[in-house]
Amino acid sequence: MAIAPERPRTRAWPVVHADQYEGTRIPRPVPTVRPVPERLRGSDDVLRINFGPNHPSTHGVLRLVLDLDGEQVVGLDAVIGYLHTGFEKTMEQKTWWKCVTYPERIDYVGFQNNELTFVLAVEKLLDLEVPEKATWMRTLLCELSRIHSHLIFLGTSALELGAVSMFWYCFRERELVLDLFEMVTGQRMHTRYFQVGGLAEDIPEGFYAQCRSFVEWMPKALDDYLALLDRNAIWLERTKGIGVLSADDAIALGQTGPVLRASGVDWDLRRDEPHLSYGQLDFRVPVYANGDVYDRYRVRMDEMRESTRIVDQCLRRLERLKGHPWIADDRKVVLPPREELHTSMESLIHHFKIVTEGFRVPEGEVYVATESPRGEQGCYLVSEGGPKPWRVHFRAPSFVALEATATCVHETLVADLIAIVGSLDAVMGDTDR
Amino acid sequence: MALDKPLKDHGLKSERLLWPSKASKFEDEVNDLEQKVGLTTLAKAVAWAQTNSMWPDTFGLACCAIEMMSIVSSRYDIARFGMEPFRGSPRQADLLIVSGRVSNKMAAPLRQIYDQMLEPKWVIAMGACASSGGMFNNYTILQGVDRVVPVDIYVPFCPPRPEALMEGIIRIHEAHLAGIEPAYARREVAT
Amino acid sequence: MSWDSIPGFVSVKEAFGETTVTVEPARIRDACLHARDELGFQMLVDIVATDYLNWGGRGVSGYIATASGRDLNFPSTQGLQTLPEVKARRFSVAYHLLALRQPPVRVRLKCWLDDGEPVPSVVSVWPTADWHEREQFDLMGIRFDGHPNLKRLIMDDDWEGHPLRKDYPIGGEPVRFSEAE
Repeated sequence: MAIAPERPRTRAWPVVHADQYEGTRIPRPVPTVRPVPERLRGSDDVLRINFGPNHPSTHGVLRLVLDLDGEQVVGLDAVIGYLHTGFEKTMEQKTWWKCVTYPERIDYVGFQNNELTFVLAVEKLLDLEVPEKATWMRTLLCELSRIHSHLIFLGTSALELGAVSMFWYCFRERELVLDLFEMVTGQRMHTRYFQVGGLAEDIPEGFYAQCRSFVEWMPKALDDYLALLDRNAIWLERTKGIGVLSADDAIALGQTGPVLRASGVDWDLRRDEPHLSYGQLDFRVPVYANGDVYDRYRVRMDEMRESTRIVDQCLRRLERLKGHPWIADDRKVVLPPREELHTSMESLIHHFKIVTEGFRVPEGEVYVATESPRGEQGCYLVSEGGPKPWRVHFRAPSFVALEATATCVHETLVADLIAIVGSLDAVMGDTDR
Repeated sequence: MALDKPLKDHGLKSERLLWPSKASKFEDEVNDLEQKVGLTTLAKAVAWAQTNSMWPDTFGLACCAIEMMSIVSSRYDIARFGMEPFRGSPRQADLLIVSGRVSNKMAAPLRQIYDQMLEPKWVIAMGACASSGGMFNNYTILQGVDRVVPVDIYVPFCPPRPEALMEGIIRIHEAHLAGIEPAYARREVAT
Repeated sequence: MSWDSIPGFVSVKEAFGETTVTVEPARIRDACLHARDELGFQMLVDIVATDYLNWGGRGVSGYIATASGRDLNFPSTQGLQTLPEVKARRFSVAYHLLALRQPPVRVRLKCWLDDGEPVPSVVSVWPTADWHEREQFDLMGIRFDGHPNLKRLIMDDDWEGHPLRKDYPIGGEPVRFSEAE
C-alpha cells in the first residue's frame, strides 16, 4: 500500500516553493523509521548504536536508535516517552482553575504559548469575553515567549554545531526576556499569568519602560547574531543542503510552524486563523525555499525580528489602555477582587464556590489551535459540564516534528543528524506530554 | 584530629555565612560533624581542589534544565566555581544535577548514568519534581529521585532560580570542604 | 462543504464554531481519503481518542458558569442544566483535519467504538498518523488495523494497561504530611 500516493506537485497557495526534491523521501513501510538499505542488511559494517536518551545536546531525553555504516546514518528509529508526565490524565483530576498550572510545563521553552492554548480553549467553551487589555498583553507575552524559545533554539543549536559563543550571546538576551517576565508575573519561567478570563494581575508600571528598552535593543542583538553566523563559511557548510524536506512531504507529515515555512509553504496561524490580537497587527511571515537546516534557522531569525516588531506594536497599544480591566467580570468564573470579599455577600459566595468546587464549564468539545514557536499547538477539550475536564489533549508540534526525522535523514553523517534534530526544534516535554 | 575552627572561620564565602546570629539546623549539623570528622592537611587540600573543579554531567531532563543552562550563561556564571564544562560522559563528571521530572521509563537510564560516575560523586535533586515528584503525583513520575539515587542536596521550587541552584552547589562544596562524605557513603547505599 | 458525500457519513454537528462529522468506524479510511482528495483537507492535525466510561453518571447539575447559562426570567434555570446525554459507545476517535486555505477550514471526523473494536489505520492517507495512532494505542488501547508498526510509543514496552482509560487509576502515592504523624 503506497504511503502518500504520487500526486502532481502542488503549486497552489499556500505552497510557494515545491522544488526541493523529486517525489517523496518518506520511508516505507513505516513513515517514521528509516530501514537499513537492502545492500547493507546483515552486513558486518553496520553498527547499531543508541543516541540518547542522555546525550550532550540539550534537546532533552530523545533516544534515536541509529544504524551506522562508518559515519553515515543508514537507519534510524526514534524512541520517545522518557519524559512522559501524564499531563492529560493529571489534568482530569484537577479543577479547571488548578489545571492552568499544568500546560506550561509541556513545552517548557515557549511556556506562555501552551498556557494560552489551554486558556483559550476553556474560554471558547465558556463563551467568555476577555477584556481588550488582557488580549493585547497576552499577545505581547506570547511573542516574548516566542523570542525566548527561538533564542534557546539558536543558542543550543549553534552550541551543538560548534559555534559555542552563540550560546552566551543568546542567553544574555534571554535574561532580558526573563527579566520582563519576572517583572510582570513574579516568576522567570512558568509564570501562570494567564487565567481563564484574562490575566492574573494588572501590568506593573515599570514594565512599559523596560519593555521599550528591550524592543530597542533586540534588533541590534539580532544583527549581531547574523553577523556572527550568517556569513561564517563553516556555519553555511554545516547547514545548507542538510536535512531537506520538501513542501509536499512536510504537509503529508503534518509539519507546521518554522519547519513548514522553511519548506516553502506560506502558512502561519497568526495570520491565517488569527487569535488574540494578531488580526490587528502588522507583521511579515518569513517563507524560505530550500527546506534545509539553514532555512529553518533563517525562518526563526526572521521570526524573532518580527516578534520584536509585534511586541512594539502591542506595547504602544497597551500604553493607551492603562487603567482598563485586565480580567473578565464574570464572577462565576473569575475570582472577585479581595476588597469586595469584606463587603459583598455574593462575592464571598462566588469566591467560595470557585475555590472549593470550581466553576463549571458547559458540556462540549472544542479544539483550539495557536501558533507556538514550534508550530501549531492545539488543545482538544472535552467537558462533561462539571468542574473538572473530562479529556484534555494537546496537539504537540514537537511530536509531529520528530516524525519527520526519518524523512530528513537522507545520506547524512552523524554530525549532520545533530544539526537536523536541532533544527526541528523538538522539546521533549512537548513530545511526550 | 578535629578541625580547630568552625566552618565559617575558614574564610568560606557562601552567602548564608553572612547571615547574622542564629545558625540553621544544617550549620549545627555541620559544626557537629566537624568535631567528629577529622581532616588532615592533605585531605583538605584535595577537597579544595575537588570543590573548585567539580564538573557536572549533562543530565537536563525538562524545564529545570533550561534554568541549569542559564547558570552557565554570563549573568549567573558558574565558571567562577570552575564548573562550566558540563561533561557528556558520566565517567568524567563529578556532579549529577538531576534537573527535571524523572519518569519511570527514565529511571533506569538515570541509575545507569549514576553508576557509571566515579567516586567521589554528588547528586543534586534540582526542582520540585526531582526532589519529590513535584506537582505530578501519578502513574508515570518517580516521586523523588532519591528512590533511585542517593541525593546530597534538594533544591526546591519550580523551576529553581539559578541563584537557588548555585546555593545548592555551594553547600555541596562546603560540605565537602568540611569533610562530610557524599550521600552514598553517608547512607551506605550501593554505588 | 458537502459533508454527506463522505463515505460512511452518519451525521454532522456544528457547535462552538466547529464542525464535527460522525463517521462509521469501518469506513474511516475511505472517509479520510475522500476528505484529503475531494474535499481538500491536506493535513491531518491530530488523532485523539476519548474514553466515555461513566460519562454523566454522577450528575453534573449545579453552579453553572456561562454568561448565557441563566435566564433571570426563568428561575428554574438558575444553576441547573440538563444532564449530559449518555453516549452510545465507550470510545470515540476524533481526527482533526485542516484544509490549508484562506480562510482555513477545519473539521473533526469522529467515529464511535466499543472496547476492543479496531479502527482502520489512516497511515496510508497521511504518514503523520503513524505516531498519533501509536500514541492512542499505547495510552487508550485502541487497535488500528493496517498500521505497519503498532507498538507502544510513550510507555515502557512491557507496560501493562492503558493509562488514559477511565478505569486505570491515576497512580502516584498518598502524600504524608509530617504534622499528621
